[in-house]
Amino acid sequence: MSLETFSTSEPLTLGVELELAIVNRHDYDLSPSSADLLRLMAKRKIPGDVKPEMTDSMIELSTGICRNHADALGQLTEIRDALVDCARRLNVGLSGGGTHPFQDWSERRIFNTPRFHMLSELYGYLSKQFTIFGQHVHVGCPGPDEALVLLHGLSRFIPHFIAMSASSPYVQGTDTGFHSARLNSVFAFPLSGRAPFCTTWDDFGVFFEKMTRTGVVQSMKDFYWDIRPKPEFGTIEVRVLDTPLTIEKAAALAAYIQCVSRWLTVEKPFELAEDDYLVYTFNRFQACRFGPEGTFVDPKTGEHRSLREDILATLARLESHAIELKAEAALDYLRLELERHGNDATWARQVHAREHLLPELVRQQCQRWSGELQID
Amino acid sequence: MLDSILGTLGISLSGSGGLLWGSLVIIVGALVGEAVFRWVGLPRIVGYALAGMGVGLAGYGMAAGGLSPSLRVIVDLALGLLLFELGSRVYLRWLRTNPFLLVTSLAESLLTFVAVYLVMRWAGLDGPAAVALAVLAVPTSAAVISRVASEFGAAGQVTERVSMMTALNTLYAVFASKLLLAWLDLDTGQNPVQAIVQPLYVVAGSVLVAGLLGYAVARVARGLDLRNENSTLLLLGLITLALAVTQVLNLSTLLVPLMAGLWLRNTTERPWVWPRHFGTAGGVLVLLLFVIVSTSWSIAALAAGAGLAILAMAVRLAAKAGAVLTLGWFSGQSIRQGLGLSLALTPMSATALVLFADLQVSHAPFAAQIAPIALSAVALMELLGALAVLAALRGAREITPQRGA
Repeated sequence: MSLETFSTSEPLTLGVELELAIVNRHDYDLSPSSADLLRLMAKRKIPGDVKPEMTDSMIELSTGICRNHADALGQLTEIRDALVDCARRLNVGLSGGGTHPFQDWSERRIFNTPRFHMLSELYGYLSKQFTIFGQHVHVGCPGPDEALVLLHGLSRFIPHFIAMSASSPYVQGTDTGFHSARLNSVFAFPLSGRAPFCTTWDDFGVFFEKMTRTGVVQSMKDFYWDIRPKPEFGTIEVRVLDTPLTIEKAAALAAYIQCVSRWLTVEKPFELAEDDYLVYTFNRFQACRFGPEGTFVDPKTGEHRSLREDILATLARLESHAIELKAEAALDYLRLELERHGNDATWARQVHAREHLLPELVRQQCQRWSGELQID
Repeated sequence: MLDSILGTLGISLSGSGGLLWGSLVIIVGALVGEAVFRWVGLPRIVGYALAGMGVGLAGYGMAAGGLSPSLRVIVDLALGLLLFELGSRVYLRWLRTNPFLLVTSLAESLLTFVAVYLVMRWAGLDGPAAVALAVLAVPTSAAVISRVASEFGAAGQVTERVSMMTALNTLYAVFASKLLLAWLDLDTGQNPVQAIVQPLYVVAGSVLVAGLLGYAVARVARGLDLRNENSTLLLLGLITLALAVTQVLNLSTLLVPLMAGLWLRNTTERPWVWPRHFGTAGGVLVLLLFVIVSTSWSIAALAAGAGLAILAMAVRLAAKAGAVLTLGWFSGQSIRQGLGLSLALTPMSATALVLFADLQVSHAPFAAQIAPIALSAVALMELLGALAVLAALRGAREITPQRGA
């Protein structure tokens, strides 16, 4: 199958996809209710879409095209409210978080579609372990070459996105020590990692041609890269974020990505080079493991600093772009979050330290997701 | 003759009978249960029920002398545990976010009552007997649902809804049976004031004891981790104590644990997590419960009442299915789930047996009148009920692949 042509899309528009966990209201373990939820949602009118995911305790919501932070938050709120209402009718809860703290992956069931069954056949237990929940952010690009340039530019900020969205410290009932343990499941897949360093669509086409010729890849969907071009939408897709615990954070992170994209496109502050990727996996690991306290190695200068420092410095550089994109509220929110808990993973650990009961943590996560629980 | 020979050696079979036969029953029950599970893929309780059926058909069962007090204690405790667990998984606020659930529940219970009453009258029974049988037909047995769901790891809408509707129809059935007893008392010329006060006393008293039990469990849970063995022992002790008090005060052994569970679930938001059936002790009690209930099989009872029992049960299934399927769409249920729910509501035996036993205690001759039909129905549904629930959960695809295999 050859590489599709890159559609046109309005630059710097956003699309947000969120994968959610469906839990029962008794012990807050995962509940296989996605088919029921989809059936009830089919009768609702929402600005985006809801879709099933790999296993039947997961559900994915996606917004339509969003112009800015307020638009994204508005659409997410509408979809969230509809989902929470349907979930209440079924006596199930919806929770964010990159992983479910104590689900047993062996009990999961694959959602009944041909593609998911094929993936389950291919990837064995990895597909059930893939009961993880992520946020994907699409950024509109004027053309394929610009898309690839933006992709490589954004790669420097992957640790930022990971550290700020991290919400998966617990896996199978135990504290993993990571802020984002979810990404460890993603990295297990053979086609994970990052896109090859091509800056033109033609070069990328050559690479794609080679991969399909070897039969390793059938389509773009088979790549599980951190940032991936999506030709049919005309966007690039940042896939590395954990699903945050609130839609406010999800919208704020999307706006952050939008601001960074604008900065990169307009000012071109960094010159792209393959060597930038030398520190990529180290920085990414540090972000997954330590969150904002992780070490960030500057790809250009080799200087070590804390990720928190680099994020705050970036937030400062983004001021003017935030004003243009009407995203000041988003950046203020992220700055405040960084000061208070750092990220949702730290908040989760604090709750567990108080309550000593992981089902109670999931219950509070459901409350934060539905907006019933506001923390200060 | 065997007795006299053994007597010279100082051995008396009838004296040690209880422990001897009891242990044999446990062993046979467990073996048959395992065989049935391993080779036929049916829930183990079917095996326990077959063991009990054997005992009953051999003549040592319930028809011989009714539910003896010692067996009644075991039944009360086992059913109490299961009702407590059931109550603790019923979130009453769901009735508010999905009002059609309550409508469906009331409809299925009312329809069942009316349908069974009419059929029994048509079959020639008199008013009180028909009413009594109709009341016995209303509840769904919490025992079977709870046990099959936990053994096969069931999760989903049918499992949720059947738990909710079982809790509700058990409540209706207990209220109705207390009213029935009051009515029978009035009929036999008892003091009218006492006849009316009695059911009120039972309900109010049960609610009070249930509240105290719920509160006690909540206090325990504050300090102890309910998942460890010692804590579950404490919980078991509290429930047993509550049931003992219930018996002494002549309150309802069905209402108290159910309402305690409901109280617990609906007064705190914090999730309750403890080992299923409170661990091994509970598991043994549940096994005994199914065996004992199945000893209601008796050739004499079947001969006299099987036909009408089958008729009543068929009508009961139709009534429940009718209500669930017509109203299900409004509460967000798919047709497949509606069919599953209808089947899952069919078990009846343990709860009906306890209600019948209460009737026997207070109005023995009247109970003897309906005994053949009641016991036949209980016997039949004990076997069929488990199969129906399994079929329902499998059909609605609510069984975890691993454990259902």
